[in-house]
Amino acid sequence: MTAKHVPGTAAPELVAWEVFRREKDGDPMRHGGSVMAPDAELAVHYARELYGRRQESVRLWVVRRADIVDLDDPDLLQPPLDRLYKKPGGYVMRDKLAAARAQAGQAKPKARSK
Amino acid sequence: MTATASAPTTALAGLLLAVADDEFVIGFSDSEWTGIAPLLEEDVAMSSLAQDELGHAAALYGLLAELTGTDADAIAYDREPGAYRHCRLLDHGRGDWAMTIARRYLYDTADGVRLEAMVGGSWAPLADLAGKLAREERYHRMHAGAWLDRLARDGGEGRERVLAALAELAPDAATVFTPLPDEPALLEAGVLTASSAEMERRWRAGISPTFERLGLPMPPPARDPGRGRLDHGEAFRWLWSEFTMVRRSDPGATW
Repeated sequence: MTAKHVPGTAAPELVAWEVFRREKDGDPMRHGGSVMAPDAELAVHYARELYGRRQESVRLWVVRRADIVDLDDPDLLQPPLDRLYKKPGGYVMRDKLAAARAQAGQAKPKARSK
Repeated sequence: MTATASAPTTALAGLLLAVADDEFVIGFSDSEWTGIAPLLEEDVAMSSLAQDELGHAAALYGLLAELTGTDADAIAYDREPGAYRHCRLLDHGRGDWAMTIARRYLYDTADGVRLEAMVGGSWAPLADLAGKLAREERYHRMHAGAWLDRLARDGGEGRERVLAALAELAPDAATVFTPLPDEPALLEAGVLTASSAEMERRWRAGISPTFERLGLPMPPPARDPGRGRLDHGEAFRWLWSEFTMVRRSDPGATW
């Protein structure tokens, strides 16, 4: 949790808070932007003013940026090898199929009739 | 629009004017923070609160204009300073941030109690509007409360400044509950469901736990309570010259 300001000391430090918002019921929470605030209570006030005062949101999530687990390691996210097989479309099979048909001497099958 | 069965139009008009002037004056005062608030986010927040209050004033002046067959802008802008009926609590000038927060806290808590007394009232147009205003004012109290808490718990300059602000405002804090000349008629007709004395009692009961927790002195009874909405001083005359400046620059123009 946010450190409480100790009375009599210097002003509390402003930290960044990320704001997620839901535009209308049923929508996913989407990142809206960020606010600077010294603690969670004021962060919520400012999020409400910056991302909700025009009735553009039905829900806000306000998350201290430091609490977000960040991952941007290219070895983990953008590995160098072909990962097409992990995509829903899979490999492009057209060329391989054509080669296999040529080898077997078969014509491309016609579209199936109903 | 018709008045209720038994409340005379003058009584309703007096009530609307007092509440509308309160919202108008505090809204305009707070708008002075636009561009110079302590941090960017707070600048947006305070400007938005100020706009809310001006919006409330516009709705109340609108109701008054409908009731009396006049023009809302004319009511808001074309009176001499002495004809405004806001409470003296709002006559202290913008001051520093602590002053603004102290004034907001005292006013918003009092306004909340007053709205409650109108929500259940017998005049539907006002009761409906008060219900809407009350929903927005909830957030205003949260905002002022959050700041009062931070300033008062700060052992240093913040606390000193908020104590100084409260000391200046204290004698006028309860002027929100200055009895209106036609209060008996408004109570009789059920337009107000509580007398100003009862509202002030509720207000004190509502804020005293906060004042106690923060070690702040509770405001005393209003000085010269009968004139709580009169005798606006130099600070208000300056504010008036500001908010009427454009309007006076070309009287009768269509904006």
